[in-house]
Amino acid sequence: MADLLVIGAGLSGLTAAYTAAKAGLQVKVIAKGLGALHWSAGTVDVLGYLPGDKRPVQQPLAAINVLPDGHPYKLSDTSAALEAFQALTQTSGLGYGRAANNENWLLPSPVGAARPTFLAPQAQQAGSLRSDAPMVIVGFHGLRDFYPQLIAENLTKQGHQARAEFLPLELLTSRHDSNTIQLAMGLEDAKRRQKLGQALKKLVKSGERIGLPAVLGLDDHTQVWSELQSQAGAPLFEIPTLPPSVPGTRLFRALRHELELIGVRVEAGMEVTEAQASSGTPAKVQWVASETSARPLKHRSQAYLLATGGILGGGFSSNVNGRVWETIFQLPLTVPQKRPDWFRASFLDPQGHPVFQGGVAVGPDFRPIDEAGQPIFANLYAAGGVLAHCDPILERSLEGTAVASGTAAAQAVIESLKVTA
Amino acid sequence: MHTKSWHSVGPTLDECIKCNICTSYCPVAAVTDLFPGPKYAGPQAQRFRENGQPQTPDYSVDYCSGCRVCNEVCPSGVKIAELNARARAQIVAEKGLPLRNRLLGRNETLGKVGQIAPRLANFGLQNPVSRVLAEKVMGIAREAPLPHFSVEGTFGDWFKNSQARRLKSEKKVVYYHGCATMYYEPFVGKAAVAVFEHNGYEVIVPPQNCCGLPLLSNGEFDEAAKYHRNNVDKMLVYAQAGMDIIGTSTSCTLTLKEEAPELLDAHDENATTLKMATWDIFEWLRERHEAGELKTDFQQLEMVLPYHAPCQYRAHRIGKPALEILSLIPGVDVRESHARCCGIAGTYGYKAEKYQIGMDVGAELFEFVREQGSDVTMTACDSETCRWQMEHGTDLPSRHPIEFLAAAYGLYDLEKRQLTNE
Repeated sequence: MADLLVIGAGLSGLTAAYTAAKAGLQVKVIAKGLGALHWSAGTVDVLGYLPGDKRPVQQPLAAINVLPDGHPYKLSDTSAALEAFQALTQTSGLGYGRAANNENWLLPSPVGAARPTFLAPQAQQAGSLRSDAPMVIVGFHGLRDFYPQLIAENLTKQGHQARAEFLPLELLTSRHDSNTIQLAMGLEDAKRRQKLGQALKKLVKSGERIGLPAVLGLDDHTQVWSELQSQAGAPLFEIPTLPPSVPGTRLFRALRHELELIGVRVEAGMEVTEAQASSGTPAKVQWVASETSARPLKHRSQAYLLATGGILGGGFSSNVNGRVWETIFQLPLTVPQKRPDWFRASFLDPQGHPVFQGGVAVGPDFRPIDEAGQPIFANLYAAGGVLAHCDPILERSLEGTAVASGTAAAQAVIESLKVTA
Repeated sequence: MHTKSWHSVGPTLDECIKCNICTSYCPVAAVTDLFPGPKYAGPQAQRFRENGQPQTPDYSVDYCSGCRVCNEVCPSGVKIAELNARARAQIVAEKGLPLRNRLLGRNETLGKVGQIAPRLANFGLQNPVSRVLAEKVMGIAREAPLPHFSVEGTFGDWFKNSQARRLKSEKKVVYYHGCATMYYEPFVGKAAVAVFEHNGYEVIVPPQNCCGLPLLSNGEFDEAAKYHRNNVDKMLVYAQAGMDIIGTSTSCTLTLKEEAPELLDAHDENATTLKMATWDIFEWLRERHEAGELKTDFQQLEMVLPYHAPCQYRAHRIGKPALEILSLIPGVDVRESHARCCGIAGTYGYKAEKYQIGMDVGAELFEFVREQGSDVTMTACDSETCRWQMEHGTDLPSRHPIEFLAAAYGLYDLEKRQLTNE
């Protein structure tokens, strides 16, 4: 029997698995599919905006204090969790770093907006919009999902110096059609890389930095990025693309690799469809079962971590009337249960939308609680997108809450198993 | 124009959010643009195949190898591989099928014919002249790793002839050997019988047919349905008596459990009874182990063992029980492959126009094996065609995990591939 079964292979689940396994626990990760991280920009957004305020947050760690009680950050040691995350990703060469003075980075988004984020991988850092250096945004003819003119135009409107350039797609691939992951793997070929480096050197003007779609290698990313940068003779930064996102995929692969080194396996294609609990107060989860090609497969563990994501990640399901439910344990949700109450009238309302703000309420040890504040199951914990009292979309806090709550929930599990042992 | 209804797969179509994770992980799309990727060939093209539209929009679906990596990574539960299999069947229904694909689909018939004169058949299958001919005439790649017929008789012969030595017990299991064990690799079946008996189980081997998978993956659904019905008829009585039906060929067990019922719409009570009684051998052994019933009187086997869980195995969605059980053997350092596919994908890599694609797909697996160092003397994989492809791509012998387990019990010689007491 495992000590901890993590359900979900997104950032919160993987962070929790790592934290627990590092402390010596037997950990297993199962997931319906590989999702969330493959869609993410590969940065760790901690707190980009506060509700009702259109200006980006400067100092996210300090701004956490003004968040409401019950927010996952209020239950976690966010700063320590982020440090642990940086240490964990150090060996992968992704080089997650902070901007000066613990301020948010402001990085160009795929449409050329300024995107506040807290930890940026090394290859995105030269895109900092706090710098005055002019930018040339380089796209490729025929590459879907990346539009250099749109990016340059929007950056210019915001007062930055930016221009757009195009290179032929044949520099990246001999295929008729490729997605970004395939292009990234193609650039791991040194010859192809060299041609691209030469082409970049030709088009970059003195003093400019170069923005490219985030396709600079997958597993050999650090080498691809640094070689291209020296060949081009200018600072080089990646701008994330539409999904699948190469920087997010790199992070997933790096985390899975680190987990494997400490004996944790991540099993995809396992959808949990059933759970069994003992009677008693609080009840105890005895097993969960995942769907297979024939009979359900039971997974038994001392503790369970629900890290299945929220309404976007698949941890919640809903019907046309607006009823929303948590799919595995039928935990109570703070999400409005009537469709008209889901959204405010304006799509870009500075208060956000209620449907994205609700979730599973947890106590100080990240165990889901009922209305009276009591744990619902003695050995069930929750982290990441399932959590209530935060709005990852409005706050730009998706990865930050995942890292902070994943770490904190794992620590709570470690503590509880110490006590029972 | 649909020969089969879409109802069990179709609803998952609407779950597709076009995130392209499937395309990112698709091993075929990664090496060739003859296949545009699961999202395009599957959920996207499907819109144009439904509602009585006149013809398939895209023949490139034939380049889907059916490895099911797309299903595994899809966060939304879309049954992409099944969409593609049905689309291929639709093309076959409309356009007919080349002789080669008819042949490759008929594993059982080929096995029976080959066993009339196995040495002659092997000469035919393995000599360069006939292979060039087979490539020119039929499009079977000359380099492809075709199997060798057993020259010591079939598994069925051995099982019949060794009846006097077989264990009798209250505890019984039914063994589904499949065509590969029957005609090419009887030693895999012998190892399985030895492991069952060592754990106190009497083995029953009822008459059985090909599971039908080669026909399904070549789009001959009606022929596959005949095989499946025969298997249900022949094994139902054991399933109804509560016995477990256990196979060593992971693609066969997947077909009995899911592929045949799903693709052939065989959801009747009898087919379901068989489905629910069917186990992959290591799935079953893991259950025994978790119940504390598996013998662990293992001998030391000093080896670094690269293990590849084949696509068909991952499609069971049972994790990697073979890896878990092999890890119990003292001295065995099991290294888990994350390669997506070996490239053979059943009969895919045998086809001349797909052979190189298959080898390019397999490159990451062959590379993984090389990275494990020069101490590696063998690899492990649960699927026969994948083992043949791995041997072809790495020049190292490959074994079924049950052979290692039988060896760890001291019952089996891994080099000679025979039982120690025979």
